[in-house]
Formats: sequence, C-alpha cells, structure tokens
Amino acid sequence: MGIEWAWLLPALCGGAFASILFLGRYTPLRGAPIAIASIATCFALFWFFMSDVVTDGGRSFERFWFEAGDISISLGMTIDELALVMIGLVTTVSLAVQIYSLGYMRGDPRFGWFFAMMSLFAASMLGLVLVDNLLVFYVLWELIGLCSYLLIGFYSERRSAAEAAKKAFIVTRIGDVALLIGILVLFTATGTFEMSEIFAQADAGEISKSNLNLSAALIFIGIAGKAAQFPFHVWLPDAMEGPSPVSALIHAATLVVAGIYFLARLSPMLVHTPGVLDSVAAVGLVTAFVGAFLALTQNDLKRVLAYSTMSQLGLMVLAMGSLSFGAGIFHLLTHGFFKALLFLGAGTVMHAMNGELDMRKMGGLRRVMPITYVLFLLGSFSLIGLFPMSGFFSKDEILVGVLDERNGWLVAAGLAASGMTALYVVRMVLMVFLGESRSEEARNAHEATPTMLAPMAALGLPTVGLGVLALNWGNFGGFAEFLHLPPGGSHEYKIVPEIFWPSLVISYGLLILGWRMYYRRSRLTPSIVESRYPRLYAFAANKFYLDDLYQWIVNNVVLVVSRSIALFDQRVVNDKGVDGPGKFTAFVGRTLRYHETGVIGTYILTIAVTATLAILIMVAVN
Amino acid sequence: MIGLEHILVVSSILFSLGVFGVLARRNAIMILLALELMLNAVNINLIAFAVYLDPDLIVGIIFAIFVTTVAAAEVGLAMAFILRLYRSRSSVNVDEVNLMRW
Repeated sequence: MGIEWAWLLPALCGGAFASILFLGRYTPLRGAPIAIASIATCFALFWFFMSDVVTDGGRSFERFWFEAGDISISLGMTIDELALVMIGLVTTVSLAVQIYSLGYMRGDPRFGWFFAMMSLFAASMLGLVLVDNLLVFYVLWELIGLCSYLLIGFYSERRSAAEAAKKAFIVTRIGDVALLIGILVLFTATGTFEMSEIFAQADAGEISKSNLNLSAALIFIGIAGKAAQFPFHVWLPDAMEGPSPVSALIHAATLVVAGIYFLARLSPMLVHTPGVLDSVAAVGLVTAFVGAFLALTQNDLKRVLAYSTMSQLGLMVLAMGSLSFGAGIFHLLTHGFFKALLFLGAGTVMHAMNGELDMRKMGGLRRVMPITYVLFLLGSFSLIGLFPMSGFFSKDEILVGVLDERNGWLVAAGLAASGMTALYVVRMVLMVFLGESRSEEARNAHEATPTMLAPMAALGLPTVGLGVLALNWGNFGGFAEFLHLPPGGSHEYKIVPEIFWPSLVISYGLLILGWRMYYRRSRLTPSIVESRYPRLYAFAANKFYLDDLYQWIVNNVVLVVSRSIALFDQRVVNDKGVDGPGKFTAFVGRTLRYHETGVIGTYILTIAVTATLAILIMVAVN
Repeated sequence: MIGLEHILVVSSILFSLGVFGVLARRNAIMILLALELMLNAVNINLIAFAVYLDPDLIVGIIFAIFVTTVAAAEVGLAMAFILRLYRSRSSVNVDEVNLMRW
C-alpha cells in the first residue's frame, strides 16, 4: 500500500463523519464504532505508509484542479517524513482518545455527534498535513478551528462553554485573517499557491525580501493565534470547558500544533527570513515563560495543563525560531503523547471526582486510582523533562539547537522555564494524588474503567520510550536527520555537556524543591507568597489581567466601532438608500394623484387646451 | 363670390360651438350632440377643401364619408354607455360621474 493512497486517510474519516451524521441513529452505539473503525484503519495505513517512506523516501503527487483566467490552481499531496510523523501522531492519539471517549462520554445524549465531530476533525487534520496547496491548507485550517469551536462548546447548555467556544473561535480568527493575507501576499508575489513552487522561487531569489518577510510575519501571526502564543493565548485555558478527550486531542496534541507543523513545512522559505525568525523565537520564549508562570497559580487541574501546553508550545516555537525545525517537531511529537496522556488522566480524575476539577478539593487519589497515578506520573516526568523520558530528549534537542543558532542567554532562559515547569508539575501531582483527601468526593473516588485506562497506557509507551528516536544507531541518523528539514547540516543528537548537566540538575533539583515547598510546607508556601506580595499574586492569579484588557478593548473599541457602523447602516443605507426610492415614489404618487379628478369635464378641457397649444406651436414653428 | 375662406370660417365657428358644448354641458346626451357638431364642422372643412382646391381629386370627399361613418359608429357606442349610466344612476349628469378619482 504505497503512499499514493494517502488521500484515503482524510477521505475515510470524512466518510465516517458523513455516515455517522446520517446513519448514526441506525447503528449501535450511535455510530461510534464507525468513527473508531475509520481511525483504526488510518492508524494501520500509517504503518504501511511509514515502511514506504522509510524505504523509498517522500514523494509528491499532483492533480490539476481548475483554471481561472491565466491562474491555474492545482491540488497536490506531499507525503514526506514530516507529513508521515504528523500522520502518525494524529492517528495514534485520535485512536487512543476515541477509545477513551467510549468510556468517558458514555451516557451523553449527544454521543453520536461527538464521534462525528471527532471524525471530522481527524479528516481535516490529516488533510492539512498532506496538502501542498496553500489555499486548501487554509480551508482545512479553518475547518479544524470549526471543529474546535463545536467541540469546546459541546456542553452547549453551559453558558461558560458557549462563551469559551466563542472566545476560541474569535481569537484564532484574528490570527486567521493575518494568515490569509500572508498567503495572498505570497500568491501575488509568486503567482501560485503551491508550496513546492514557492520554495523553488524563494531559493532562486525570485521573491523580493520585503514580500518574503511580510508574508512570513503575517503567517506567523496566524500561527500564533492557533498555537496559543502570547498574547493570543487567552482562549486556551477557557477551552478546557470542553470534554477532556477533546482537550487531550485538540488542545494538546493536534490542533495547537498545526501551526508548528506549518512552520516546519515552510522551513525552506523561512531560512530566507532571519529577521522574522528572531521575532518568532522571542514570542516563543515569552510564551514559554508566561505559560509556566501562570500554570503555577492555577487551582483548576485542566487549566494547569492548559497553561503547561501553552508553555511547551512556546518552547516549540522557540525551536522553530532558532532554525531547529527538526528539534521542534520532535518535541511536538513527544509532547503530543505525554500531554494527551496527562489530559486523559485529568479526565479520569474529573470523572472519579464527579466533575470536580478544583485541586484544592482533591488529594490522596493515589490510593484509590493507582494505575492512573502511575501513568500520570510518567507523563509528568516526561513533561518536566526528566531523564530518561522522551520529554527529556526532545527538550534537550531544542536547547542544543538554540545554543547552536543563538546564544547561551536564551538557553539559560529556556532552562529557567523548564525549572518552572518542574515546580508547577510537582505542585499539581502533589495536590491531586498525594497527601490527604481533602473532600468527600476525593474519598469516594474510584479507578477508571479499562476502556479508559487502556488508551492511557498505550500513550504511556511512547511517553517513556520515544526518546530513543533522537539518537542515531545503525542506519537511522536520529530524528532530525530523518526529517531532513532545512537548513540542513547534521543535527544529529549530541550530548552537549553545557546543556545536559544543567538540564538534569535543574529538572531533578526543582523536583525536590517543589516537593519540599508543597509537601513539607516549608517557608515558601504559596499562601505565604500571597500574603507577602498580594499585588503580584493577584496579578498572576488574574492571568496578568489580559482577559480584562481584551474585554475592555472589545467593549470600548470594537463594540463602539461596530455600533457606529450599525447606526450608519441603519440610518443612511437602510432608511435613506433602501427606503428612500420607495418613499420618494410614494411621495410622487401622492402628489400626482390629484390629477385624476374623475370629473370628465376636466379631462376634456385638458385635451382641448393641449391640442390647441400643440397646433399653435406647430404653426409657429413653421 | 363665396370663397374658401368663408366656408372655413363657418366650419370653425361650428367647431368652436361644438367644443364649447362638450366642455360646458352637464347632460351626457348634450355632450354627444356637441361632439357630433364638431365632427360635422370637420366634414364641412374637408369637403370645402375638396371642392375648391382640386375638384378632380375627390380624396377630401372620400375622407368625409369615412368621418361620417366613424361618427355614426361612435354615437352608437356612446349611447350604449349613456344608457348603462342612466340605468345605474337614473341620471346622465356627467358632473356626478367622479368615482374613478384619487
């Protein structure tokens, strides 16, 4: 089964979506088996495709689509190592999450619709990583945004969920506008939507520097929206209103990384825009910090994970901005697995706690849900980047790349962010699983069903083991080598002592520090921080007041402008423009109708007078 | 002798009397009469032209026959209207027929 069949992946899932929509009610379990069957098939196909790519390398396929004037737009499919990695990630995590959802979402009245949307999302995401055409890419990009909106607002009866879905869609939409303009700038500069064409033109120097930089900057703004970079990150914590499987799949492993993938995909072009990449790295670093900082102050389990995702995405973006595209994608891969695992674990905890997510009400869950505890611990260790988990290798690769391309200060900053990661992760694990149970629900909690535990365990394997992909042994030159993204040069994994040891020390060290802080109630407890620095604490707890700032902007700028435009539309366009001719016609009619007196005498008089006048004029003219 | 202009003056006097009648009469039948007067005046005009200007070319006289025919048909039609009007309102006063007004 060669990779020319890759179009089957989105087609199968799209077909599953349609089938569940129309035939769901006639099938047992409301169509969920259709979704799972399709994603399992995709998963199987992935392995075939992988063997094909590993032996023969990546290829592109193209099909002519349509012509408009002298612009011909064609639809192409590119399956190279990068696409393959993404396909693997999406199919694996989707499969795990969908099986998990069988247990988690059981009993929900919209069970079938959930799986339909999951299939639609899988189809869009798989299509996204396959296409070669920027226009189709944009359409699919919007489609995954739509699925995210629908799935965040899944519990539509809840006001907070509906608001969160709206917020997610609007914030990412702002980015999407920039993305579209960036794509169009590229199109006007090159005359084509095809990425391979554009890269060739860029390499040959046929695109002007200003065009390249402008489009790269705009595209990055679009990516920043979806990838929850600062300051577009505000939608991600609220997106936790959606069901936990949704958070695991979409807001940890796939949708938020679509932008990171796009950066890697555009790497042949981005090597020509170093200025933009500087900003990219800066944004990534800031995001990594802000995310980790805010994660430290949250009391809601899923929100800690959301900010954690934001922080890790910042790291990936930092890698991309430091020309370490391979390292960034590797972290994308490992993060996808361990973050999905963590979110599924959070879902299990939430299920067991009867929907309660406040960590202050948890505690001691280790005793009642041991398997979840162990798996969650594995994910947490990978998140912190403890050796020998996969997270360690990917984070290390990023830092090595940053050291290579940029300077040591950024590496130090990255290490600091990793340190903060350790702190908030320890706090999270401690509050949830260890210590004494702090509420009724925590005491009555139960372990999850096998349907939910099995996928989590499945995700645990790559969490622990995927690190080996970074190394090079035998024919395999290491992950970055495998992807062979620009700027080329061998990025084989090397153990850089300047990074390896500090990273090790910091991760283990802060693990212990966090333990002491939060468990042993040493002098640095959060409540003490709160009382000593109330304003700083409030600043962090209110998420830097960014939400309030944005709301203020919406109220005083956006709504004011839209109100005045609405007024203009009402008073001028509608009342004058549309009603105007009608009213004028009526006015004319009302005035002229007096001419119909109904009295025959006037009519005849008019005729006589007019006839006489006409004759006189004719005579006078002649 | 009697020249063309004399006959034309006569016909124009008759025509004006007819116009006056159409404009000033209230009774529908009187308006019809005045109308007939106008048509007759026109006929006189036509025949005068025919006789005085070109006796061989009798176009004017043939036209006058047409006019007379049309006048007759029209009177028939108009009488039908007036009879209808009288039957529904018991009056032929045209000043009262003003329902088709604004």
